[in-house]
Amino acid sequence: MSKERQRWGTKIGVILAVAGSAVGLGNFLRFPVQAAQNGGGAFIIPYLIMLALVGIPLVWVEWTAGRHGGGYGHSTAPGIFQALWKKSRLVKYFGIGGIFGPFLIYMYYVYIESWCLAYAYYSITGQFSGMETGPAFVDFLTNYQGAATSGIFSGTAPGLIFFLITFCLNISVIYFGIRGGIEKLCNIAMPLLLFFGVVLAIRVVTLFAPDPLHPDWSSINGLGFLWNPDFSALKSVKVWLAAAGQIFFTLSVGMGVILTYSSYLKRKDDVALSGLAAGSTNEFAEVVLGGTIVIPAAFIFFGPQDIVEVASSGAFNLGFVTMPQIFCSLPAGAIFGFLWFFMLFLAGITSSISIAQPSVAFFEDEFRMSRPKAVRIFGIAAFILCLPAVVFLHRGVLDDLDFWGANFFIVIGATIEIILVAWVFGISKTWDELHKGAKLRVPRIFKFIIKFVTPVILIFILGWYFATEWVSTITMKGVPKANVPYILGMRLVLLGVLILLGVLIWKAWKKHDMKEEREVVK
Amino acid sequence: MTTGGWILIILAWGVIFSLLIFCYSRVLKGDEAIPEYHYEGHEID
Repeated sequence: MSKERQRWGTKIGVILAVAGSAVGLGNFLRFPVQAAQNGGGAFIIPYLIMLALVGIPLVWVEWTAGRHGGGYGHSTAPGIFQALWKKSRLVKYFGIGGIFGPFLIYMYYVYIESWCLAYAYYSITGQFSGMETGPAFVDFLTNYQGAATSGIFSGTAPGLIFFLITFCLNISVIYFGIRGGIEKLCNIAMPLLLFFGVVLAIRVVTLFAPDPLHPDWSSINGLGFLWNPDFSALKSVKVWLAAAGQIFFTLSVGMGVILTYSSYLKRKDDVALSGLAAGSTNEFAEVVLGGTIVIPAAFIFFGPQDIVEVASSGAFNLGFVTMPQIFCSLPAGAIFGFLWFFMLFLAGITSSISIAQPSVAFFEDEFRMSRPKAVRIFGIAAFILCLPAVVFLHRGVLDDLDFWGANFFIVIGATIEIILVAWVFGISKTWDELHKGAKLRVPRIFKFIIKFVTPVILIFILGWYFATEWVSTITMKGVPKANVPYILGMRLVLLGVLILLGVLIWKAWKKHDMKEEREVVK
Repeated sequence: MTTGGWILIILAWGVIFSLLIFCYSRVLKGDEAIPEYHYEGHEID
């Protein structure tokens, strides 16, 4: 392990990079829908409680474990888990999800990210002008995706071109490394993203009640639709689980990304304050910006009756059908449309580069590959495996990938991780590690929460998801028969990738014997 | 918007803005690590 490890350039750089990883499309599209469907304002109560009991503890655990593993020259979950439990010969295989999960998400995320870039381009060039009705925007989206051809686009070429541009941008950023690529991009993209979000939020709130025929279709009532509490919802276990799930998915915990990013910290770099800062930046983007843009804007334009249907129409429909329709009816709508989609694109690219990094880091660290070579291998594999999501989008392939990547593996990964850190490595050692170089003294109550409360909640979530949702998804219940061969084929490919990863981990550790494992970086 | 809605939006935004101000004021100030913290003496090997 003589090769010099990459390092972050500045403290603010790593905070923005981790926040960039967490702030994604879900902050602006998933959170408001979840809140609207789960008790409105009352949803924020379980949401904040779960933030304190699950989100923040997991953030601290991942930052701490990542920096610890980085001290042994490992940047990915297999090596980091091995550094936490040196005596075990098997624990490294439990970290497989920390590479496989993000890679799975990457396989479809970049494609969705490319829609944002395309729509930003179409907005600023006025391609949406004259389109007024919802079905017109649905047509536009399905034509763009290549699922229908009614003359707007001739084939899938535009979608593929934007996908290629987005993919190449991703690979270029990753190629330039932690400091030269990821940190530089996030230092520019994150402030820009937050600025665009603030501009859009102010625009929505200052619309007041634009339609004199409907004075109650106002921005304040739109905020009310999202925030007026229905406290009876708090009696439902589902609402609490929805809050825990949202916290889970929004903070990027459990997928291995924070482990990888924090492994590039130095031994005495702070993790306690940095983790909290990155987490609170994500919460600002989600609760303050995400809660102020989409639902209030949709309320103003669709009114209190139709908003219920709009809110339950799904994240893609909200983002790519409802929002452009709203912007088209605003003065300077092309500019606001551009701001919206470019903001989503920035949220997307800062996340997609983070989910690519674990795979690249695995080759760099465990096979001593140069970065260009690791990026080349990742680029070729990712490009080939991204194609099914692009080509078979309407065959349910994307939804299936999303289930495995953004649900299954991260819940299991986080549960393994918290048990490993709090119980195997030990809460006292974890607490000491967390406070090495700390610029914040974490309240002692979190020692108890990390050891007992978070694992219990995670095990409960795991059991609940398994019983209520996972079994039916795994057995493809309700999937149209025509889609089954595509989904089954994709699952076989994924199984092949998983087995290949397992073999690579075995080969890597065969190369560098565990007896040689030692702390290499101070 | 009902009174309950206002209370909850103020609560949520209050918590988030307090966290942001607390964290970034310390991050940007570039404080040293907390000097008086005593580790519990576990050897991290």
